[in-house]
Amino acid sequence: MAPSQAIFSRSRAGQESEQQFMPPLTEHIVLRDLDIPDIGDPEVYHRHGGYAALRTVLTEKTPAEVVALVRDAGLRGRGGAGFPTGVKWGFLPKDSYPRYLLCNCDESEPGTFNNHQIIDRNPHQLIEGVAIAAYAIECHTAYIYVRGEFAAGARTLERAVADAYRRGYLGQNIMGSGYDLDIVVHRGAGAYICGEETALMESLEGKIGQPRLKPPFPAIAGLYGKPTIINNVETLTNVPMIIRHGAAWYRQYGTAKSPGTKVFSICGHVRRPGNYEVPFGTPLRELVEADYYGGGMRGGRAVKIIVPGGASSAWLTADKLDTPMDYESLAAAGTMLGSGGVIILDETVSAVELAYKMDEFFKHESCGKCTPCREGTTFLVRVLHRMNHGGGRASDIPLLHDVYNQMAGNCFCLLGESAVVPIRSALRLFPGEFEQAIERAAASAATLRANAIPLVTH
Amino acid sequence: MPDVTLIIDGRTVTVPAGTNIVDAARTTEVAIPVFCYHPKLKPVGMCRMCLVEVWTPLIDQATRQPVLNPDGTPKLGLMMGKLQPGCVTPVAAGMVVKTVTDKVQFAQRGQLEFLLSSHPLDCPVCDKGGECPLQNLTMQFGPSTSRYDYQDKVHFEKPIPLGDTIYLDRERCILCSRCVRFQDDIAGDPVLGFDSRGRSWEIISKSDPPFDSKFSGNTTDICPVGALTSSDFRFKARVWEVRPVPVVCTHCPVGCNITLDMRHDRLMRVMPRENDFVNEIWNCDKGRFGMRHVDDATRLTTPLVRRGEQLVPASWDEALRVAAQGLMRVRSSAGATALAGMIGADASNEDFALFRHVMHGVLGTPHLDHRPGGPADVALETASARFGVSSGTNLLGLGTGTLVLLVGADPEEEAPLYVLRLRGIVARGGQLVTVNAHPTKLDGSAARVVRVAPGREAALIQAVVCGILDGGAPMSSRARGIDRLRTSLKGASAVQLAAAAGVEFEVVRALTDQLISAPNMIIMIGRTGLAQGSAVSDAVGALAAVTGAFGRPGSGVIALNPGGNARGAQDLGIVPGEGGLAAAQYWDAIARGELKAMLVAGLDPATLGAASASALDALDFLVVQDAFLSDTARRADVVLPCAMLPERDGTFTNAERRVQRSRQARQAPDGQRAHWQILQGIAAALGSDPGYSVSSDVTDAIAAQVPAYAGARYTSLGVTAGDWGRQANESVYYDGTSYTNTEGTGVQLPTGVERDGLPPVAAPLTPLTGGVPTGTLAVLVPRAYDGRDWARGSKLAPRMVPPHVIVGPADAGTLGIGVGEPVTLTSARGSVTLPAQIDRGLAAGTVLIVDVAGFAAADLCGGVITSVDVARGEA
Ligand SMILES: Cc1cc2nc3c(=O)[nH]c(=O)nc-3n(C[C@H](O)[C@H](O)[C@H](O)COP(=O)(O)O)c2cc1C
Ligand code: SF4
Ligand code: SF4
Ligand code: SF4
Ligand code: FES
Repeated sequence: MAPSQAIFSRSRAGQESEQQFMPPLTEHIVLRDLDIPDIGDPEVYHRHGGYAALRTVLTEKTPAEVVALVRDAGLRGRGGAGFPTGVKWGFLPKDSYPRYLLCNCDESEPGTFNNHQIIDRNPHQLIEGVAIAAYAIECHTAYIYVRGEFAAGARTLERAVADAYRRGYLGQNIMGSGYDLDIVVHRGAGAYICGEETALMESLEGKIGQPRLKPPFPAIAGLYGKPTIINNVETLTNVPMIIRHGAAWYRQYGTAKSPGTKVFSICGHVRRPGNYEVPFGTPLRELVEADYYGGGMRGGRAVKIIVPGGASSAWLTADKLDTPMDYESLAAAGTMLGSGGVIILDETVSAVELAYKMDEFFKHESCGKCTPCREGTTFLVRVLHRMNHGGGRASDIPLLHDVYNQMAGNCFCLLGESAVVPIRSALRLFPGEFEQAIERAAASAATLRANAIPLVTH
Repeated sequence: MPDVTLIIDGRTVTVPAGTNIVDAARTTEVAIPVFCYHPKLKPVGMCRMCLVEVWTPLIDQATRQPVLNPDGTPKLGLMMGKLQPGCVTPVAAGMVVKTVTDKVQFAQRGQLEFLLSSHPLDCPVCDKGGECPLQNLTMQFGPSTSRYDYQDKVHFEKPIPLGDTIYLDRERCILCSRCVRFQDDIAGDPVLGFDSRGRSWEIISKSDPPFDSKFSGNTTDICPVGALTSSDFRFKARVWEVRPVPVVCTHCPVGCNITLDMRHDRLMRVMPRENDFVNEIWNCDKGRFGMRHVDDATRLTTPLVRRGEQLVPASWDEALRVAAQGLMRVRSSAGATALAGMIGADASNEDFALFRHVMHGVLGTPHLDHRPGGPADVALETASARFGVSSGTNLLGLGTGTLVLLVGADPEEEAPLYVLRLRGIVARGGQLVTVNAHPTKLDGSAARVVRVAPGREAALIQAVVCGILDGGAPMSSRARGIDRLRTSLKGASAVQLAAAAGVEFEVVRALTDQLISAPNMIIMIGRTGLAQGSAVSDAVGALAAVTGAFGRPGSGVIALNPGGNARGAQDLGIVPGEGGLAAAQYWDAIARGELKAMLVAGLDPATLGAASASALDALDFLVVQDAFLSDTARRADVVLPCAMLPERDGTFTNAERRVQRSRQARQAPDGQRAHWQILQGIAAALGSDPGYSVSSDVTDAIAAQVPAYAGARYTSLGVTAGDWGRQANESVYYDGTSYTNTEGTGVQLPTGVERDGLPPVAAPLTPLTGGVPTGTLAVLVPRAYDGRDWARGSKLAPRMVPPHVIVGPADAGTLGIGVGEPVTLTSARGSVTLPAQIDRGLAAGTVLIVDVAGFAAADLCGGVITSVDVARGEA
């Protein structure tokens, strides 16, 4: 049965679907603003146990114990790579200070918008997470780098940070523990590449936002050349709850290798786009179809393309809807969980146009540092542009294959590698659409020729 | 570092650990193509041209042992499963690198196709054509056609000036950042940067005036395309038409190896020529863009002799005869000591030899000098002769363990390339300490900046010497005269001397510790130090003596005597002889009637001030050898037009005592003659023709007669010492377009110690314990862009420094002076009004006067440091 029909019937009549979906979480770990109205208010946050985890940590735990707890919980970085957070924190070279903590809120991956909701609605939990992480890695200055376009969110966060200072959760001698921490909210100037950890550091240092050569890795030489840990907003927002409830509690959610919950940003042609926090391993179909999540496809149309982890992740087709949404299962399906931005598109979408739009994005955001990304994205976009506008040529298909292969594996950073993904997915999954585009172009050229008024008549 | 053995394209290579794959491959003549990589710059891995397959032994995760093939050889895996950029991948033991595989070639073709997709391909009108890495690598590795539609290319406004000397064509730029990195890391003038992103990413200049650097020309050499071209060479010639002639730059004591690229007999451009002992692959803009005066229309073309008020053209025979007779007449009537001679310090050793022959040998006067005769004249120092850097010293080899002490020196203005050389030492782990009365550019690279009161450099060094002697610190006993030195300093203490220098004693103590713990020490003394009598150079010599910083490679004194060949002038006796006067004393002697005739070659003392000008007027007879009708030449009885650098052979001795030969690039356009030839003509007219036929005869005569120069025969100077890993066919894309040295790297003369084996003697010192001077002191500071003859026709003309005075913020505040406003300086000699500049780093009570064309320094200054009254000037 086509998924769209199932959704149609269910949402229409409110009947039991033949699909058995897990009920939604009754208590969230990250999106607690859904459970507790006004949790962004420091009073409310405090009443609901806010900053208790920070107090516990500062008064009862050593930094090493915090690192161990987070490692035991199996928390994985939500910024894209899913790297175990506790392990990352353990990479810092011994006795090398000062250290810095950076919280990555550059959230620019197309289809991804959960960090925005966190800073907007639940900023104190993030601040508490940043403070705990800072204590764990023994640093005294943390920066939250906020995407330039998030003006209102950044203001909310700045206010929340100011509140936290006022209430003694930040600043000197926090809660009498002798631990000092400053948090600086820094706004970017609107560049996707500044979400890449080293470009973010360059940008924070006041330089042009471009990735640095690695090694050295940030844990050894990061911001201002000092050991630095960088984590995503969602990653750090999990931390207070892990401290409060323990590793075992956390691991009751999700899978053994991908523990906990994940906030997926669902967008595209679903009825109810939005952020949904679900345990790792929840099937993709559930996110699309359950009426408390995506709510099915708009107009009952069929799913054509799923981009499961932001524009950088390889596309899936409807036959992969039963894939569980965790790092391992998505990797096995040939794609990745990435940023957790799930884009669901229906059959009205042309694969050629989608590839064009997505690569247009990467071209626009290419920092220009390396040849294959700077020139390759432009090349791809030019060819895709003509293909989309009735100018495709027979030679364009092998050309597109060559161009992305000339980029793949050869770029300086992952942005360029990501630009390969949409075009490669499109050509792999929908080769016919490219051929049709070329045929259409040939036909219209022939028509044009036929209708042309001859310059010379006899 | 331990060596690492790996295999590159089937060849086994052993290189030091840490070497990158591109460099390792070069050692076995495997050429991995590169664009952004440059052996002198930190690798950045941006262009992705150097992608190669890197196979490394697989390690079993469980056992940590290498996985073996059935035949027992280690099993290899492709590093990270993809190609790796060779320029940023260090070698590792057991690595197998493959640079010629389908995968690699696909990537190489791919990157070239990409680069060309935004390249205008205007090779036919591009100055780089013919020596362009992009052209070469495209021919070798690239696709022969492009699949990118031409109309899709990005277009920018065609070249925009990036500064006075450099044009940027953004369409041609491949965004490799070599130029930016050169400016940041090598030149230390971080004036270039990037703006925007993606394909709109572009090079910009961040400074005002734009591209404000004395080394800008080098970026055109290392730019791998024709994106950076010089305003000096643009559209002048195709590079395959030019004939590069190896010469030595005579603008300063560095003695950079350069070429004059000639088309027929016209100078098209000046390029650096590699010499790792001197200038590596660089030169400065003054050397590169400051050679257009050789084609200036106002050059003298024929000899001139005076007929009453007028100088009229004459034949060489006549002019030489008149010159000889005039000099002889004065000698007969007033004696040999009524004659004096001066020859500029950028003449060749051969010129000096003939000058001495005529003036001293034939005419018998002791009054010889190579200094200009003005307030900034340096004293004749012996520190660099006695404690000079030993043979085998190469600044390029120094780094960790080397301390460079700069005393009264501003290399950027005096000897620009030393900025690069010294910054290189710092980059390699060495330390720089500057001791000056005012800020200098190298302060920015220094581990310690010691600010002394004007004229108190010597007191500071004495304080250090005193501290070392008092402290009984480990001290070299190799120098002689230490006891006398100790006695000479008896009455003084380090504390007193520090106070006299105007420096906190704590600073002196810390500096002393730093100096005695440095395994190698180079002491560089500049014009401001050298011009304060012998006080500074003697103190510096004493410091070398007590620290043992002499007599071994990598240590010793370097003196920046102004001029391209001041060292040679001193070595060949162009200094006052027994009873001889120094040039600066000539003018009074003329006024007193003691001197009556002069021969002036390549100097223009009339511009120094009223005293020298009227003295020259008062002479009975004046012979001038010059390329231009200078103020001095206008006063002459005979003017003899001299050949310029392209028109003569010769040898020159640089500040590190390296003798280098410079070749003739063309015939002098109007039969002008080299100084030595003119002087030989005068000698012949005086009946003492030494009969040399070519310059190299004189070179060999010098080698035969002057013991220090025994090794500097003309042929030995032509030996190219050093293999710097350049493979001529590839050097263009690895190193840039500087020329490979095929014409000789010169010979470094031994120091006195090395020749006679006797330890050098430290001179006793006169302690400078007076209080810190009160009132305002003006320091006459040198400027590279001084607007003198070399600047004629140069693209650098707009950058010439006009006469001005520099005041500190405190004095400017007290006097109420703003930038550009007039300041009146009054000294015992006179009064001048100059516009003001403000230097935030300058202390109250110190002002700087720039020593440039258009300012008659001697009318205000009695020496390099002058006590002045400063007041707001009338607008
Ligand atoms: C082009 C590019 C953009 C990125 N953008 C973001 C981003 O907006 N937010 C983010 O958290 N991580 C982003 N990342 C990943 C970061 O580099 C980094 O891995 C991450 O912040 C680490 O945090 P985590 O360990 O909590 O996942 C980006 C990576 C690349 C290559
Ligand atoms: S792949 Fe290259 S050009 Fe693209 S964003 Fe990364 S460094 Fe910049
Ligand atoms: S101007 Fe030349 S050196 Fe500078 S980035 Fe462009 S190509 Fe490279
Ligand atoms: S540094 Fe000196 S010798 Fe070298 S090019 Fe410049 S002026 Fe000439
Ligand atoms: S990336 Fe290696 S030479 Fe440019």
